[in-house]
Amino acid sequence: MGKSLTFKIAWRNLWRHKGKSLVIGIILLFGSVLMTVGNGMISGAEHGLSENIVNMFTGDIVIVSAEQEKDNVLFDYSGKPLKVIKNYEAAKKVLETENAIQNFLPATAGAVYVLSGADMYPIYLLGVDIETYQKIFPGSIRVTEGRMLRPQEKGILITGEARKQAYDFMNIWLLPEGEELNKKKLPEDVLDGLKDLDTRRDLVFIGASTSNSTLDIRVPVTGIVDFKALNKIWGNYCLVDIESFREAHNYVTGADVNVKISAAEKELLENDELDQFFSSGSVVEKTAISQESISIQDIQAQTKKQTNQYSVDAGSYNIAFVKLKQGASQQKTLRNLNETFKKNQLNVRAIGWKDSVGSIGSMAATIKVALNIFIIFIFFVAIIVIMNTLSMAALERITEIGMMRAIGAQKGFLRKMFVYETGLLSFFFGGLGIIVGIVIIYMLKSANITTTNEFLQLVYGGDKLNPIYTAGDFLLGVVELGIVTILSVLYPLRVVAKIAPLDAISRD
Amino acid sequence: MNVIEVKGVTKDYPLGKTTVHALRGVDLTVEEGAFMSIIGPSGSGKTTLLNIIGCIDTPTSGSVKVHGDEITELEDKKITDLRLHKIGFIFQTFNLIPVLNVRENVEFPLLLMKKHSKGEITARAEKLITEVGLMEYIEHKPAELSGGQRQRVAIARALVSNPDIVLADEPTANLDSETSESILELMRELNEKEKTTFIFSTHDPEVLKYAKNIVKIRDGHILGQG
Repeated sequence: MGKSLTFKIAWRNLWRHKGKSLVIGIILLFGSVLMTVGNGMISGAEHGLSENIVNMFTGDIVIVSAEQEKDNVLFDYSGKPLKVIKNYEAAKKVLETENAIQNFLPATAGAVYVLSGADMYPIYLLGVDIETYQKIFPGSIRVTEGRMLRPQEKGILITGEARKQAYDFMNIWLLPEGEELNKKKLPEDVLDGLKDLDTRRDLVFIGASTSNSTLDIRVPVTGIVDFKALNKIWGNYCLVDIESFREAHNYVTGADVNVKISAAEKELLENDELDQFFSSGSVVEKTAISQESISIQDIQAQTKKQTNQYSVDAGSYNIAFVKLKQGASQQKTLRNLNETFKKNQLNVRAIGWKDSVGSIGSMAATIKVALNIFIIFIFFVAIIVIMNTLSMAALERITEIGMMRAIGAQKGFLRKMFVYETGLLSFFFGGLGIIVGIVIIYMLKSANITTTNEFLQLVYGGDKLNPIYTAGDFLLGVVELGIVTILSVLYPLRVVAKIAPLDAISRD
Repeated sequence: MNVIEVKGVTKDYPLGKTTVHALRGVDLTVEEGAFMSIIGPSGSGKTTLLNIIGCIDTPTSGSVKVHGDEITELEDKKITDLRLHKIGFIFQTFNLIPVLNVRENVEFPLLLMKKHSKGEITARAEKLITEVGLMEYIEHKPAELSGGQRQRVAIARALVSNPDIVLADEPTANLDSETSESILELMRELNEKEKTTFIFSTHDPEVLKYAKNIVKIRDGHILGQG
């Protein structure tokens, strides 16, 4: 009875003071639309980032050496190279037997220094078997110039981002081997300095290592590539054949073991008598001059053949990217893998993809926090306006409220009346705001908005704007609206509670 | 039996740097079933005295007992309950709830009590609305009524909860003479039937005609009670 009376009075008061109700309502509507769309965008970005990062680069789980101290193995710019997984073969067997795993890609990741004259600058390389990479991360890269690295071919795929960096740091413009400079494809700043432009079709780099045992190697650029999305993040990593990476970092590899030597070389190596190497005879020996003509092209072809081929083998890796089967639990698989690694003393550990990419993994959460702070600010303004409007409304109704007190209405009744009034406004206008927000989200989703803009890709969580609205977002919205309602009504309630029965008469 | 006992009540209002002494040591006793009129010129303190008796104002000093309860010692919640259950108010300017219609305004105190059934509330409200002659306006909002009609609604609302005491500040000031008479008749009828105590302030000699007891007040002092 009491509740329906309070509700009735509250409801009719809202209609009686339409202007004020509308002002408060519009503020609540605006705030909740913003909150809903914002949360939808962020959820979409969060989901998109997860999807893109998992599907394009890291997989669900990343395997590293247990000696690796930090979890952020892919974007740790401290310069420390990743530790080599010492017993990858044993770890591989564990990965192969884990039911939840769909497939995995062993790789090498780390920095190298590109050498150009006396200068050098760092780039990040991901050494992979390109064939396996494309199977596990299909469609993640597209060639914009040149061609894709062929299976077992030595070469590097330079990302557009890395190409820009090479130009900025070294003033060199990288081109795929066999490609001519196409002015139409050059960015404006490069065109401006065209006269002095130094074009290169290969890179000489040296592995960045703390061990001082790295080598400088020359690797041809086979193509310029872009990742499907998030090039601002992934563009820092160029793809290189795994052997070149190993060579640059002077890894002891399976390929070294497989080198075949001739019988003469074998005999030489087996010979313990060092003196025999320095026996009598002329140091210089006469030889016949070959009349056979050899062209420089033939030599280049032979050299190319020798340097461009290698066998993918069970060599050294410092990272492996693991993709899980649909619906498999990442946490459970992580737990299982780490338990098995530990049990078998493999000195290997598994980490979640979010941890492996450092702050990028929590970027969506960070954006979400920032957006919510902005929404809280909007709501704070709304709270002040609503508080002021309600307080004014209470003071305007002082005679009426005083009379209610005089004829026996407790303070609680009047407080309830004001809470109902604000609650009703929040429910209708806030609720309407949420509905409008959801409609906007679906409109944005169905508009199929795509972007190549790098910053927008971060905001979208990929190359497509794909906002989503989850039950969690709805709950968050309701909680935020509830908080706004409570905070806005607190001060007016104090004003109401201070109205004395005598005010019913004093104001006559 | 005394329903109201007022002893040595003073009421001071600060007004800038000065103090207005509205009541200067008032003693008054009101017996159950009284039909009392407080008369006095404007500013004599009659409204202040009514407000203090009605528990909507507190004295600066002195003692006020309503049904034996010392109201100066009661906390707000109990005083509000006392007003709801024991006292009915009729204000000079009607003071109805603008968003409620006649029926709902009259029902309001009963709904606050939360002890009557819907049927009881409706029957009681309709009886009083009929008695004040507003049955045909029962669904009207206060804004759709004349001043006199609004006051009749206020009277019905004051009487609906069968209070022990009804306090009325100039109750017929805005009513025509015919309505004034019918209202005073109604009040007297309730006074006699239900033993409801009525205390009202007035200038109207017609109202004085109905009063059984008259209290004269001037400059915050009671000059006489008879």
